Amino acid sequence: MKVQITVHPRFHLKPLVVILLALMGIAFVIAMVRYANGIGAVSNLSNSYPWAFWISFDLFTGVAISSGAFLMAAVVYIFELKEFRPLVRPSVLTGFLGYMMVVVALLVDLGHPERIWYMMIHWNHTSVLLEIGICVMTYLAVLAIEFAPVVFEGLKWQKFAHFIHRFIMPFVILGVVLSTLHQSSLGSLLLIQPAKLYPLWWTPILPILFFISAITIGLSMIIFESTLSARYFQRGLEIHLLEKLAKAIPIVLAIYLVIKFSQLTFAGDIKYLFTSGLMSVLFWAEILIGAVTPIVLFSIKRIRQSANGLLFGAVILLLGMIMNRFNVSWFAVTHPDPITFMPIFMGQVTYFPSLPEVAVSIGIFSAGILAFGLAVKYLPVFEEEEHHDTK
Amino acid sequence: MTEIKHKTFLFDATRCIDCRACMVACSVENKIPMNKTRIWVAGVGLKGEYPNLERASMVYHCMHCNEPDCLSACPVGAYSKRLDGPVIYDPKKCIGCRYCMNACPFGVPHFDWDKGLIEGAFIDKCTMCTQRIDIGLEPACVATCPTEALMFGEREELLKYAHDRLTGQPVRYINHVYGETENGGSSYLILSHVPFKELGLPDLPSQPVKEVSEAVMGLTIPFALGWGAVLTAAAAGVHMYNQKKEADAQKLEPSEPQAEETK
Repeated sequence: MKVQITVHPRFHLKPLVVILLALMGIAFVIAMVRYANGIGAVSNLSNSYPWAFWISFDLFTGVAISSGAFLMAAVVYIFELKEFRPLVRPSVLTGFLGYMMVVVALLVDLGHPERIWYMMIHWNHTSVLLEIGICVMTYLAVLAIEFAPVVFEGLKWQKFAHFIHRFIMPFVILGVVLSTLHQSSLGSLLLIQPAKLYPLWWTPILPILFFISAITIGLSMIIFESTLSARYFQRGLEIHLLEKLAKAIPIVLAIYLVIKFSQLTFAGDIKYLFTSGLMSVLFWAEILIGAVTPIVLFSIKRIRQSANGLLFGAVILLLGMIMNRFNVSWFAVTHPDPITFMPIFMGQVTYFPSLPEVAVSIGIFSAGILAFGLAVKYLPVFEEEEHHDTK
Repeated sequence: MTEIKHKTFLFDATRCIDCRACMVACSVENKIPMNKTRIWVAGVGLKGEYPNLERASMVYHCMHCNEPDCLSACPVGAYSKRLDGPVIYDPKKCIGCRYCMNACPFGVPHFDWDKGLIEGAFIDKCTMCTQRIDIGLEPACVATCPTEALMFGEREELLKYAHDRLTGQPVRYINHVYGETENGGSSYLILSHVPFKELGLPDLPSQPVKEVSEAVMGLTIPFALGWGAVLTAAAAGVHMYNQKKEADAQKLEPSEPQAEETK
């Protein structure tokens, strides 16, 4: 199936681009205020909520939605299911931009962004955060290498593109190992909070649950971005490929549910399922939206075979699973009751993200969307790699 | 080499009169602005009905855990545990990620939310006044306490002393020394007449909260190597299988490959 894209290198601002640029500008101004006057000047973060919206959205969600890159690389290069080739480039691009967004967001969130490279020289080997930092930095480089051929092809430097393509395998394997490590380690990040994270979520197997759910998020993200870009860039849609991905999702989700509920049973936490008030509501919302509904939707052939059905199912799954990330990293975490023992500088007990806080994340997200659009416009992201397949 | 004695605080909630002199002493000694503090006194407030009224207050600062979770969590190793007790934070290494604040089950480390890049936003927490104990003085909060609610000394001795108090006045106290085993033991021991939970102290098991996290971290390298090997083997296996299948297919139609080569 060939998809012809006519490239117009002419630069003309569409309304969407103007909006994205405006959102980026707002985020930039807020970031400058934050650098001048401190994190407290723009956000509602406090000593009771040292991590909240930024970490839940930018780090936990950002990394999870970028997992399509390693999945597609593994499927095409390691398992040689070559038919999925058209999905590799867009998902590697999504992954690369996703991780770039994570890093940019961390540069706003860290107290000392200029020291982010300290992670490379000062190693505390017991820290989960160190592992994530190292993995994310290395994986960003791997993704850049995996995406480089596309850039070189866009520049008509076929020789370089060919050269990288010949040595891609070690990088693919390294990428899959790094992804497995840090996708699961995001769950390990919360293992140090057994006293703070609600027992419906805290379990020693959090890393396994995180990895499995990251797979479903990655698959949904590929469906999401393919159907949307097919619409926006008026190109063909590989619906037969997406259908196969959608077919895999209920299986992975079923494994996820089985592990999740057997863990709750074995840990004796089943008693919290209906008796924890808000926590029970959050838990069931996450399970029903993120796992049960997508299993039902993607099991129906008619939904899998329609572009709208695929998009709808993917969006539902993404919403539920992103809610899971918010639950474990924010909603279900209770820091020691501040009223009792920190009356002076823990005055702010409740937390709701401030408008500038959300605006920073939206601005960074807008930059990602804009970069994706520009890459698709000027680089052969969606083109079939005919020249590589010829022997 | 002489054995290094493990220094410890002992706080007795029944003796605290909520005067907050320790907070002032700490601010003066460590030059902490008054809107921030490394030590804080929290009151439970009045309880019971007249005439049986009761109130309690708790002096709260870093527990200086024997197995510090902040130290385990910090990616860049900005924390260290001195052999004589104090858990020390090094602002020169800190990247401001605030993972220590998430890790600490007591909510001790706090952050300069109001400092920009130029002033530098750091974590702050009690240092056990190392500048004082190194020259044989007690920490400022202990030295200033008028009722000896706060005491300072060697851990073994203070533990024994605390247990003596419990056995001497069993009616006065809840029969437990908080910090003896909690979270792997801490260098801040607490005696109280009200349940420790009411003082804002979390109910913690004797294994430190970092235990599971560190066990999982220990699996990282072996897992990475094993997983890498499995993937390499899988890739090689699939490749060989596909090539063999292709070769078999070509055997059946021997004219095909030649035609392709001449292209």
